[in-house]
Amino acid sequence: MSGSPFSSVLTLAVGAVLVCAVTAVWLSSVRSSVRVVAVQGVALGLVALILGVHQRDAGLIATAVVVLLIKGVVMPFLLTRASAGGVLARESRPLVNVPASLVASAVLIVLAFVSARGVAHFVGNTTGALVPVGVATLLIGFFVLVARRRPLSQMVGLLLVDNGIALVAFLCTAGVPFLIELGVSLDILLGVVVLMVLAQRLRIEFGDLDLDELQELHD
Amino acid sequence: MTSGLLVATTVLGLAASVVGAIAPEKTRTPLSSWLTIVACGFGFVVAVMVLKSGHVAVVHTDQLLPLSGFSLTLDRFGALFMAISAAIGACAMVFRLGYDGHGLSSRTASSVLPLFVITLLLVPAASSVTTFLFLWELMAITSLLLVLVDQRHRPEVAEAGQWYAVMTQFGAAALLVGLVLLATHSGSQSFSAIAAESAHLPAWVRSSAFVLVLVGFGSKAGMVPLHVWLPRAHPEAPGPVSALMSAAMVNLGVYGIVRVGDGLLGGGPAWWWLLVMVLGALSALFGSLHSATSTDLKRLLAYSTTDNVGLMLLGVGASGLFASTGHAALALVALVAALLHVVFHAVFKGSLFLTASSLQQATGTRDLDQLGGLLRRMPVTGSLLLVGGMALAALPPLCGFVSEWLLLQAMLHGLPSSNPSLAIAMPVGVGVLALTGGLAALTFVKAAGIGLLGQPRTEPAARASEVPRSMWLGSGILATLCLLFGVAPFLVIPAVVDAARNITGSRSTHPLTGGWQIGLSGMHGMLAPGLLALGLAMAILLVAGARRALQRGAVRRTEAWGSGRELQTARMEYTATAFGEPVTRVFEDVLRPSHDLEVSHFAESRYYVEAATFHTGLDDAFERHGYRPAASGLRWWGTLARRVPNGSVHRYLAFGLVALIVVLVVVG
Repeated sequence: MSGSPFSSVLTLAVGAVLVCAVTAVWLSSVRSSVRVVAVQGVALGLVALILGVHQRDAGLIATAVVVLLIKGVVMPFLLTRASAGGVLARESRPLVNVPASLVASAVLIVLAFVSARGVAHFVGNTTGALVPVGVATLLIGFFVLVARRRPLSQMVGLLLVDNGIALVAFLCTAGVPFLIELGVSLDILLGVVVLMVLAQRLRIEFGDLDLDELQELHD
Repeated sequence: MTSGLLVATTVLGLAASVVGAIAPEKTRTPLSSWLTIVACGFGFVVAVMVLKSGHVAVVHTDQLLPLSGFSLTLDRFGALFMAISAAIGACAMVFRLGYDGHGLSSRTASSVLPLFVITLLLVPAASSVTTFLFLWELMAITSLLLVLVDQRHRPEVAEAGQWYAVMTQFGAAALLVGLVLLATHSGSQSFSAIAAESAHLPAWVRSSAFVLVLVGFGSKAGMVPLHVWLPRAHPEAPGPVSALMSAAMVNLGVYGIVRVGDGLLGGGPAWWWLLVMVLGALSALFGSLHSATSTDLKRLLAYSTTDNVGLMLLGVGASGLFASTGHAALALVALVAALLHVVFHAVFKGSLFLTASSLQQATGTRDLDQLGGLLRRMPVTGSLLLVGGMALAALPPLCGFVSEWLLLQAMLHGLPSSNPSLAIAMPVGVGVLALTGGLAALTFVKAAGIGLLGQPRTEPAARASEVPRSMWLGSGILATLCLLFGVAPFLVIPAVVDAARNITGSRSTHPLTGGWQIGLSGMHGMLAPGLLALGLAMAILLVAGARRALQRGAVRRTEAWGSGRELQTARMEYTATAFGEPVTRVFEDVLRPSHDLEVSHFAESRYYVEAATFHTGLDDAFERHGYRPAASGLRWWGTLARRVPNGSVHRYLAFGLVALIVVLVVVG
């Protein structure tokens, strides 16, 4: 896969996405995780951009710009502003501690590579070989959703899931249509806003930000 | 022509439903009822035209239902059932004009009731799996809503509704699986294609489809052991609805079994039909036992429905058994007997349920132990109950007698058979028929004797007065039909024979001969209901005349220790409980009544009793030993399962992750 400059650059960008995902699991400071996710958004945008330039597809390039803007700038900005409150800064007591999380991430990556073989083979050549990375990012994001307590960490997990899906989409179909990508990104943006509101409410109701406090609402 | 009328029926029914939903309160009931009556009239005309000519009426549209379209094909067999539903529907609607209370005049009920009637008419015409299931489910849901109309005022209605909902959905699920199994294996979902293909299907597909369908239709027909909802839901439903359910809806269960067993699958191995016969015999015995011991008038009638469905299934099973052992002519006779019983049962049970609802409206209770002396206070309604009850007891010259006689003949002619399954099944069937006939007579004597004769046992019964004309007219039409069909069964027999030949494709010669007298061609056995009626009438006149002649000038005889009529009070009368007690005692092992005697003594001396209370209850053995343990098991499982979703967001997310990983591993 090292042949052309296109494939080397693409591999580098995709690799950056995965590295960002693992780093987000590793860091316990929420604010740093948000920054990592921002970097991941930029890397994702670059993936789209590289594909767009390679295929001379103006629509894909436009999509890449939107992805860069929304995932690299707008959402991290919103999250950083939400975390400025101070109480949100650290993931104090995750359900699964950091070393165990890293091991779990490794297992998930292996699982992704094993299970996405079929898709990789179906798509073929360089882009196909990179598809499992997207699946791995998705699984890691899901894992973050399960393992972290703070709403902000959960948002990070949600963004990882979304980035994983977007990556698979870019690699498999040479870019989703512009309109759909726009819709999905706006969806996630809305999700982030809703989660922020939820976090506010949690803080008002329970004085804490542990999502498991919601268990009290169970009958 | 017929197709157009079929469409007109449907449109009129829907219009009645819409009118019921939007008309102002005052005109709601009459408008929607009359529109439904007209729809039923159109439906009846279509059905009769199809029965007469044999040309099927076809309606097909690609709209309405996605992917499959909506297709109706009314053949002679379906037309028979459609005609019954239309007749019962029209009479129930006439009855409804005078019926008040039970929340049937509400907006919801007025709009759902026409819809229910229309589905009853259209289910026998459905000719593809999707259409059939759609109409079937619509029928189940509308009837459930109608059972529940009064649930706000009486808690037992809600309970009945729950039973009904669970059982009907269980049945529908079995039906869905069975029919879909047939449709997928034969490659098409239209009934005609399945019928053409079914002979080439593997045996396990045919058998499992038949058993599933038997469960599904049996639960709707009230077949033991799937009957438990019926004695709850039918009595609790408002009068016209209970008549529709008991006289028209249960028929469709029998319709389905015959349609699939004989029509789509074209008959099957002997064990299918033995199974049907066994279940039918069980239903007949169990239903008649409970109706003989029940004291609630409508519950008694509901159990009697189970009893009669059992007899129909006995006929259907016998027919299939005859067919599978090569007795084509007898098979046709048995099926004709079963279908004839469907027709006659619908007529008399419709009349009886409407009459019982009249009594309930007039007295405010259905408990026989609180009625009495009603024949004098409500002469018309009381006479109608007598007529319907005599038909239920299969007494000549009423219609119930003719069909049961024919069924008996069919089974008796199967006796001298070398085939062991026939040689065992038929005598047992004859025995069951005889026993249920006796118990049905007992039931009738109880209902009429306790409810109508003697002195009123309670104040409301004493103050009861005749119901509005439209109510007794509704049940009166059906009661007249009971008498008419009993004396002149040739009015319906040709149609029934055509329907039976239509579904079995039997080439067998006309099995029944004669007009005023019914004979089995090529066999012994002959019945002339008209002559029988004439003879009975003359005998009664003769006896009455002779008594009068003998008694002229003689001493008037009266009760020996009665001490004169005036002193006798209602508390001295026989009660329904007491009347059924011997039966309860004889069949104690089956019925398992519960007795509870509480005696409290005075504190001063144990030799003096202060008070004694006695409770006796008779609940359904299947319910107690089958359904209640199953329900508590389910509840236990439910509480156990509720611990898994404990409200933790992380746990729910983990479910998602695990599911995703499992899918990835399985697919990848």
